[in-house]
Amino acid sequence: MPLTRSLKTKARRKAALAMASLTTLALLSLAACGGSETSENTQPASTTATSDANDPCETASGSLTVYSGRSEKLVADLFSQFSTDTDIDVEVRYGDSGELAGQILTEGNATPADVFFSQDAGALGAVSEAGLFIELEDSILNRVAAMYRSESNNWVGTSGRARVVLFNPTLVATPPTSIDELLDPQWKGKIGFAPTNASWQSFVTALRVLRGEDDARTWLEAFDANKPVAYEKNGAVRDAVNAGEVALGLVNHYYLYEKIAAEGAENVVAQNQYLPGDIGGLVNVAGIGALENSDNPEGSQCLASYLVSDSAQGFFVEKSFEYPLVDGLAPFDGLPTLEELDPPSIDLSDLQSIAETQELLNDVGLLSL
Amino acid sequence: MTRPPLALVLPGLLAALTSIAPLAYLFDIASDRGLDFVWDEIWQQRTIELVARSLFLAASVSIVSVFISVPAAWLVTRGDIPFRSGWRVLLALPLAIPSYLAAFAWISWRPSLAGFTGAFVVLTLVTYPYVFLPVCAALSRLNPAIEEIAVIHGRGRSLQLILLAARQVRGSIATGALLVALYVLSDFGAVATMRYDAFTWVIYSSYRSGFNPSRAAILAIVLVLIALALLFGEKILRGQNESLLSARSVDANPRHRVSIKPVAIAFLSTIIVFALAFPIWRVVTWVYRYGSEDSMADIATALWHSVFFSGLAALATIQLALPIGILAGRYPSRSTTLLEQSTYVTHALPGIVIAISMVFLGVRLLEPIYLRTPLLVIAYVALFLPVAVGSIRSAAEQIPDSLDEVSRSLGLSQWGIVRRVTLPLLAPGLLSAGALVVLAGMKELPATMLLRPTGSETLATRLWTYTSVSDYAGAGPYALAIIVFVSIPTAIASRRL
Amino acid sequence: MTNTSILSVESVCKEFRRQQVLTDISFEVPERAITAILGPSGEGKTTLLRLIAGFDRPTSGTLALRGKVVSSIDVHLPPEQRGVGIVPQDGALFPHLTVEENIAFGLPRNQYARVDEMLTLIGMTSQRNSRPAQLSGGQQQRVSLARALAPSPELILLDEPFSALDANMRASMRDEVTAIIRKTESTAIIVTHDQEEAMSISDRVVVLLSGTVAQFGSPQEIYENPRSSHVARFIGDANLLSAIVDKGRAFHAIGSSPCSSSAQRVIALVRPEHIRLAHDPQHGHAGVVESRSYFGHDGTLEIRLATGEIVTARLPISELADIGSTVFVASIETATILEN
Repeated sequence: MPLTRSLKTKARRKAALAMASLTTLALLSLAACGGSETSENTQPASTTATSDANDPCETASGSLTVYSGRSEKLVADLFSQFSTDTDIDVEVRYGDSGELAGQILTEGNATPADVFFSQDAGALGAVSEAGLFIELEDSILNRVAAMYRSESNNWVGTSGRARVVLFNPTLVATPPTSIDELLDPQWKGKIGFAPTNASWQSFVTALRVLRGEDDARTWLEAFDANKPVAYEKNGAVRDAVNAGEVALGLVNHYYLYEKIAAEGAENVVAQNQYLPGDIGGLVNVAGIGALENSDNPEGSQCLASYLVSDSAQGFFVEKSFEYPLVDGLAPFDGLPTLEELDPPSIDLSDLQSIAETQELLNDVGLLSL
Repeated sequence: MTRPPLALVLPGLLAALTSIAPLAYLFDIASDRGLDFVWDEIWQQRTIELVARSLFLAASVSIVSVFISVPAAWLVTRGDIPFRSGWRVLLALPLAIPSYLAAFAWISWRPSLAGFTGAFVVLTLVTYPYVFLPVCAALSRLNPAIEEIAVIHGRGRSLQLILLAARQVRGSIATGALLVALYVLSDFGAVATMRYDAFTWVIYSSYRSGFNPSRAAILAIVLVLIALALLFGEKILRGQNESLLSARSVDANPRHRVSIKPVAIAFLSTIIVFALAFPIWRVVTWVYRYGSEDSMADIATALWHSVFFSGLAALATIQLALPIGILAGRYPSRSTTLLEQSTYVTHALPGIVIAISMVFLGVRLLEPIYLRTPLLVIAYVALFLPVAVGSIRSAAEQIPDSLDEVSRSLGLSQWGIVRRVTLPLLAPGLLSAGALVVLAGMKELPATMLLRPTGSETLATRLWTYTSVSDYAGAGPYALAIIVFVSIPTAIASRRL
Repeated sequence: MTNTSILSVESVCKEFRRQQVLTDISFEVPERAITAILGPSGEGKTTLLRLIAGFDRPTSGTLALRGKVVSSIDVHLPPEQRGVGIVPQDGALFPHLTVEENIAFGLPRNQYARVDEMLTLIGMTSQRNSRPAQLSGGQQQRVSLARALAPSPELILLDEPFSALDANMRASMRDEVTAIIRKTESTAIIVTHDQEEAMSISDRVVVLLSGTVAQFGSPQEIYENPRSSHVARFIGDANLLSAIVDKGRAFHAIGSSPCSSSAQRVIALVRPEHIRLAHDPQHGHAGVVESRSYFGHDGTLEIRLATGEIVTARLPISELADIGSTVFVASIETATILEN
């Protein structure tokens, strides 16, 4: 008994230390942004550690294998900080979220992965549907609004991104504010999109779920008739809009800020048009799920709780310009809040029906040009 | 008919099995939803359109590659242009440039290239060496007498001689064109970057965002069928004209006066500018402008992993390709030909299909080595076996039968012949086969992504990580490292092939 | 047969894809002799050689080496166990080995003395370290012969060994190779399509026509007593005249010969060198000179006889009549009568 207590105390201390150092990391990454105007008004991320009695990290140790669909560049520091703080070794397999989900589905119960950290909800939904996830602990789930986590408690969102219409102001005076305006003939051949991109397909899935199959097909056929220009990646869409190759681009909100951070605001002309209250303004999430067959379930839960801690949330805001999903945290400087965006209310778990979406896109002829 | 030694047949069968193992997965997955589903998928108008588009691209690239490669090969083997061997290596070097990198270099320079034009240009520029190299090899073995006769009869103009030579090395041209066609059918990088709606792109999407492995598997099976048809076609084109090659090695290649030398040099330079200099210039520009985000240590580690995995793959592939190559080259019969061709069946499959099927088989049958180096090496073997087999077979074919017969009359067993005659004579062929596997392994992406030991990043996976977010600064050094270090095995392969 | 037989071939048949290539081949190869297998190209010579070497199996029949059956319906001794050396048409030297290593190839390790002996024999001691690509065609053939002879095989097989050489080299190589074979007291079979080559170097000739042994014997026997018109035509120049048998004699256009055949019509063989021109019709049969060829030491005339048959006569230069002139043809030797 005394032994257990001392371990617990140690673990709690570890967790507190973890949060503190994570904050440092977030601040460091701010400093790294190098005096850009964006960093000055940023509120420092809250240092309040999760005060749950049920801290999953208390008993966690050993090592974890993480399949990460989020890029190494973005999250490697986060994982190494996690290891330092918790003494849990993390082996990360980086890849494309879809590919990794496909890999997990192919591996089935034999998957060596303990945790799947995905770029989007659809991939999480697919793994969840295959019954390969275990439920997350309430202390983790409750940190995030119900809208941004799995209804079956299988996965939790870690950061959000809004769909926007990126536009080139030199070509467009008044950008569309709803997806139906995109069907206007004035945009014929002027809209860029990335048909194989998961965020685009998530949007179409949301369209199917919210408007029904028939109306979704009608919209897609009309969209197709407007001769949109397909690109392989969202980044390519953004560059095309910025270069004036197309007038509008259907992308996520942060692509603009990435380019500004890389090339300086003075070199970027493109602007985001948000679509409050419209399906086109869908907010999708990156998220994490713990695999059922893991031999370190405590470790998996610990990592999940780590990623929804205030400081990790702050890290995502600063490093990838994404929306924090935990109540009370502010988004990246100058962005409208999630409440202001008023995204369509949808169960993100429904975004797992991406196979049907692809069949529909296939039928319409939009999946590939 | 002499029976091949069992010591070759058994490993040969094993190797062929490795390379067709992915088919087991495909049939398993495709049959998941029943035969009706399979037929429905195949007989969709869309699928037929895809077949047509992919074949059109493959045919265009193959044909143009032949038209580029044959004159170029003739000039560097038979013509009297200066620095022949230098040209030859330079012309082979585009093999070192991954298609996704070349495509990225072009489209980031001229976005309007997107579509068929871009895919066609990029694929031609990165695949023509598959025709150029075997044609060079065949031309340097060509009996000079025939060309001499042509010259005597007043048909000595370069173009006439090239046409004459082309007719004689028809077999090598067909083999090269087949490799190009299979490469184009299975390539993802270029068609995806250039946004040309081809088979592989759809297969990739079905896996990556559709979680729809059945459709991908069915389309992959269609690709296998196309590959089989191409193999059959190659056999017909190849004909039986190898007899025109002289049995005795030609001491020194004859040099023919090239009628319009400046035009010839300009032709060769143009190829090199587009296929080699342009992508290198782009990459160097990125590195020069953005520097490097990663430390030298990161780059060195990635390089080490690339070299290590592809080096092991080369050793294993040669081990397995050797028996098949010898069987097909030295003991030609219906069954050995079948054995050889079985390795080509999966060659048209996109890397992702091979990779996913290796995940499927690895987790079920080879769990102890799953996500460890050995399984990655096995996947590389399945991917690159045909390349190595082809190179070893053509080297083995060049060994006259009479050497085997003499050896037997001098008391050597079949196995003794392999050891004392065939292998020593194959040594240079083995070196080039190994180099080909190393260069292909270093460029390979999908299988590396899915099967590499967790945490072991290679140049290709790093490059992908950065290019997938259009991060030129991060991508530059890795792109440059790939080009530089893949050039070494490419140069080795080109000297011999 | 004076010597013991090294190889006996008995009723050997060989089919390839249902096509009969060799039919009922039988002959013996005597020890320490050179036996030529002579025949036109594509009539089974090389096939027969491959059967003897053991590269192929006969469809039926028996091959025995020194009385031991090596090939039959149910026996097949593989080539590596037969002790039969071969010298292929192109020499087939191992390109990756030196001259010395080529010769040592079939020997047990460290038999340097034997290698030296062979190098001396072929007179190539100074080129022992050369590579085959550096040698002339004739040198390659000599190394190939030395390599075959080095392990002292029971029998060596030479497959058209001189055909890849140019004409003036061929004769000297032929003499040299024969000398080496004789000197080493080897038993050799040499396959050739060149009847002059066969006659000049061999002790025995197997004439192989259309996949059968048309005749087997010494060169002289075959020349003088060909067993058929096919053999006669193939061995040397031959005038083949139709003849009618009457009361034990065969009558042909330029004379008659004793004949024991029961057939009514036979063929009379008159060699061109056995024809002379007479000065008057009493001593010869009239004919018209159609063409003449001049060879320096002698010449030939082609003469159309009254029967319409054309005979070739080999004559001293002084006797070569002009084209178009009428001459009287006589045979100085009794014609050989052939059944077919």
